[in-house]
Amino acid sequence: MTAMTYGAWLCLLAPLSATILITLCGTSIPRVAAAWIATTSCFVAFGGAVWAFFGVRSQPTGVSHGVGRGELTTAWTWLQSGHFKVGLELLVDPLSTMMMLIVAGVGGLIVLYSIGYMDGDDEERRYFAYMAFFVFSMLLLVEGGNLLMLLIGWGLVGLSSYLLIGFWHERPSAVAAAKKAFVMNAFGDATMALAFFILIAHTNSLSFGVLNTHLSSTATNLVALGLLGGAVAKSAQIPLQTWLPDAMEGPTPVSALIHAATMVTAGVYLIARTHVIFEQARTIELIAAGAGALTLLVAGLIALVQVDIKRVIAYSTMSQIGYMFVGVGVGAYSNGMFHLMTHAFFKALLFMTAGLAIHALAGEQDIRNMRGLGKVMPYTKWCFLAGALALVGIPPFSGFFSKDPIIASAAALGTWYGWIFWVCGIAGAFLTGLYTFRLWFLVFPGEPSPFVREHYHDHHGREGALTMLAPVGILALLATFAGWIQYSPFWTPITNWLSPVAPTLAAAVPSDSQEYFTSAVTVLVGLAGIAVAWAIYSERRLAVPAAPFWRRLLENKFYFDALYDRIFYGPAVAISDGLRREFEEPVVLQTGTDLGDATLETGGLVRRLQTGIVRTYVLLLAAGAAAVVLAFLIAR
Amino acid sequence: MLGPGVAWYVAVAAFLFGIGALGVLIRRNTLVVLLSLELMLNAGNLALIALSRHWHNGAGQIFALGVMAVAASEVCVGLGLVVALNRRRLSLDVDTLSELRG
Amino acid sequence: MSASSLTSILIWLPIGGALLIWLLPLSRHTSGALALLFSFAEVGFWTEQVARFDFSQPGLQMSERANWFGDLGVSYHVGVYGFSVWLVGLTVVGMAACTGYGFWVGRDRARAYFGLMLLLTGATVGVFESQDLLLFYAFFEAMLIPLYILIGVWGGARRMEATVKFVIYTMAGSLLMLAAIVVYGLQAGTFDLVDGPTSASRWLFLGFMVAFVIKAPLFPFHGWLPDAYREAPPEVAAVLSGVVAKAGLYGMLRIAIPKFPDATSFYRTAVLALAAAALVYGSLLAFRSADFRGVVAYSSLAQSGLIALGLFAGRDLGFDGAVLQMVAHGLISVSLFLIAGAVERRTTTGEFRLLGGLAKGRPALATLLMTVGIISLAVPGSANFAGEFLILAGVFQRAWWWAVIGAAAIVLAAMYMLRLISAVLHEARGSTVSDAALDLRPAELSLIVPLVGVLLALSLWPAGISHHSFFGPSPAATVRSQFK
Repeated sequence: MTAMTYGAWLCLLAPLSATILITLCGTSIPRVAAAWIATTSCFVAFGGAVWAFFGVRSQPTGVSHGVGRGELTTAWTWLQSGHFKVGLELLVDPLSTMMMLIVAGVGGLIVLYSIGYMDGDDEERRYFAYMAFFVFSMLLLVEGGNLLMLLIGWGLVGLSSYLLIGFWHERPSAVAAAKKAFVMNAFGDATMALAFFILIAHTNSLSFGVLNTHLSSTATNLVALGLLGGAVAKSAQIPLQTWLPDAMEGPTPVSALIHAATMVTAGVYLIARTHVIFEQARTIELIAAGAGALTLLVAGLIALVQVDIKRVIAYSTMSQIGYMFVGVGVGAYSNGMFHLMTHAFFKALLFMTAGLAIHALAGEQDIRNMRGLGKVMPYTKWCFLAGALALVGIPPFSGFFSKDPIIASAAALGTWYGWIFWVCGIAGAFLTGLYTFRLWFLVFPGEPSPFVREHYHDHHGREGALTMLAPVGILALLATFAGWIQYSPFWTPITNWLSPVAPTLAAAVPSDSQEYFTSAVTVLVGLAGIAVAWAIYSERRLAVPAAPFWRRLLENKFYFDALYDRIFYGPAVAISDGLRREFEEPVVLQTGTDLGDATLETGGLVRRLQTGIVRTYVLLLAAGAAAVVLAFLIAR
Repeated sequence: MLGPGVAWYVAVAAFLFGIGALGVLIRRNTLVVLLSLELMLNAGNLALIALSRHWHNGAGQIFALGVMAVAASEVCVGLGLVVALNRRRLSLDVDTLSELRG
Repeated sequence: MSASSLTSILIWLPIGGALLIWLLPLSRHTSGALALLFSFAEVGFWTEQVARFDFSQPGLQMSERANWFGDLGVSYHVGVYGFSVWLVGLTVVGMAACTGYGFWVGRDRARAYFGLMLLLTGATVGVFESQDLLLFYAFFEAMLIPLYILIGVWGGARRMEATVKFVIYTMAGSLLMLAAIVVYGLQAGTFDLVDGPTSASRWLFLGFMVAFVIKAPLFPFHGWLPDAYREAPPEVAAVLSGVVAKAGLYGMLRIAIPKFPDATSFYRTAVLALAAAALVYGSLLAFRSADFRGVVAYSSLAQSGLIALGLFAGRDLGFDGAVLQMVAHGLISVSLFLIAGAVERRTTTGEFRLLGGLAKGRPALATLLMTVGIISLAVPGSANFAGEFLILAGVFQRAWWWAVIGAAAIVLAAMYMLRLISAVLHEARGSTVSDAALDLRPAELSLIVPLVGVLLALSLWPAGISHHSFFGPSPAATVRSQFK
């Protein structure tokens, strides 16, 4: 074991021990202590991640032990049967350290923010135990050294997401949303497990190395499809996207951490991690990109009509993950991962500023009541603006550096679908500008609305507790400047860092002119989106087009929920009730009753022989004896 | 060998058994029924001993001893029951004692 | 004390304890305490057995053999294999928890009750340890007697109906098994399971399978199950689904599959189909059951189907996964029924429409039910997940569609278990839930927490069971060679 594996274990175990500690201590520690235990553990995990990062950095580039730059460490054999063996393994390599840094870093900031946000909640301890457990699960997901460990982390983040969405469990809507999220993710877990069964059947192993094995093209396609099912469910891409907006029932920091910055982007990580199999099954990989392109448009459109501040941002998350899917789907893994990173910063920032607003307005989430909030909350306003500009991709904010290369990579494919992805990306940029600044113009500028004046309450003269304001500030800085790390084609440290693990496909490297052209178009289109939003929602020069059909379509989220109710939930209920009514009760259970009745009836018949008169018995006895004698005589 | 042949002994045993069986079947008094039972058992004993001697096999005699023990215990239980019935001032008619009717 | 005497001690100690409790004129409290003492002694002896069991050795271990009816080839022959050790462990741990629950609840007619619980312990351990078919049959039937009385005397309002159904079903199955045992033993010249040869007879296989399929149970032989699990006292339902039902699955693993290889492959598809049907059907019915115990009962049916899938897959992963899953599901089932009992004591009902909101102010109950629930829906990383993963990976190698059916059922499992959790713990407070309903008491915690602790430990190291059930590199080959 080397220093970097120590760092990785520290990173993984710190949040887990915080969870255990908070659970075991229960009410014997004050609520604020639980909060600080969780926060500290996340920052300790971040320290471990930094340790691991420098460990990896000190290694020479190039491939050794078949895992490239990095190291695999096994604690013990977790599962073994026959020749199949899976260890409790961690993999420390450039890709996992990058994710560790993002997860532990952003996670630490958001848990810190939660201290202020959740202050006064009855069950604060449970909240922080869950949050630390989530950070642990997410770290297990990204550090898992084989496919099964990855799946375990995958399942545990789903579990913590369930627990946190349903945190306020007295609300039926929260409980329903939590169950929906879990079940849709369980569907993804199941398809991934099926993919693993194929791998086990062919190679008897689940290490990442088996992805290089040459399988038949059907098997390869099915494995990739199974993995894609998991990725699509976790990252809320079409067709398994409907759980994410409902997941906003959870507390806002949860939305920031799980449903924006980390967990929902796990699908992108998965594709980057298992890109070898996706490259062998190129069709499936392009389907991933196609799902991303479709989602980014659909989610962007739906975001236009949402009135709940968190739901607007949630749809925006779906849309941005769509970009990342396009990136990793066309083969530009590092571009996808880079966007994942900047998105984690600016989307967490947007959620947390929204949280500040919600907190200051006593839980109000309807943007139609929030006009003029910027007057009373200037800090929130400017931080939100930084996040919004990063989201739209206006230079020099971070989104500009990470989103445009993805769209350019799509163009670099040069094929007809490449250009479709490109057009979708550009159209998505327009929608992003439009819905983001619709939100901005509706909420922040202008005179405070009566609702704001009536409900706004500050926190000791500030817009929120210091534990809330500080992380927001840090994230605002990151959202503004973090993009400068990489400005392709001029300097590309992230691509270089990831190249030993997930090198960009040659077909997805755009030419310089493609980069410039795409950047220029994207920024212009984004600005156009902002301008339209300004014209409609600020100046009221343009009216919102009254297209009742389209409005209904968007407000019903393209009827996906109704459709799934109709084809999955409804039939499940109907089949279950039908089986009970038509089969279980009349056939299976009745058989038991009938058997009992038949036994009783037979007994009733035989009973008549028992007259109670001794002489009958003797006679019968004699008759029986005679019959036996007769039988013997005949049989002789 | 002196004396009557084994067939006579078996005939007497069969006769005694018939009397006993008839007694059990047609008499109603519990005591007489018990008596008839004893008769049947002893008819069996007679046949056992006679045949045992005829075949020069001691097992029959041993068996007869077993039957005597059974008979003795049966009388104990049977008479005990009769006394119990009497104490409860129940009729000794076996036909009226049909409590175990199914 | 030699290692091999541990096998016999594990069987006869509780039976002796039962006789002692029946004979001595003890008070309610003393008899309960004595029974609990015997249960803990069982756990202690079992721990010693695991410690002395050599997993690196092939074949039967710690065996004891004495002549019984020599001319028929019947002997008192007991011993353990790796997988039997785990099932014995499940029995003694589960029975200790359930006896403790009966003690805590304070069952009336205490001497009869506790004696029966101990008798049940001994009989079940006997089933898992006996290596002679007649002895196996004797213990298999001996389990029925205490269960019959326990449900019939201490059960709910409709207990007689439930008992009669249960007894008729299981008797019908085991009589066929008796016939099969007699024919097999006379043909083979011995009733010994270790020495006995394989048989090519399909009829004998079916005779055994009927008994096992009813006991497990598999679809559509589960007519006794819903009533028995609803009407039995909670701790008896726990034993029934967690421990006793495993005897049927154990019988498939120990007798039906290794002794009848030809018939096994001939009927493989049919049994797999029944198992898959149990899995899907059980999950679907659990999904709409109206009460706590209904969900657990039908989920037990589903789990039996899953385990049978693993056993009849005939692959390495399937066998290992099935053993792991038997233990994991046993512990889960016991915990869930005990929690159901705790909920019913507080609210007088298990019906979902009258329950809800129990989580508020009852952190221990909420945490435990949540933990057991999510392990039971096989969240990745749990012991149940490890078992299901191995089983489905194994059956996938037989044919892909079984694994697809299994995976679909796992999504259904998530649906019914989450429904159970939220119907009991979450949302608005149910009409029968009062503020006076307390959180779990220390006595209840001391019963359920160790079970959950074992489950969590298994989740950390499922290979502890999955890799220590069968000797040799290939479990399937070990089963084919009759565990030699």
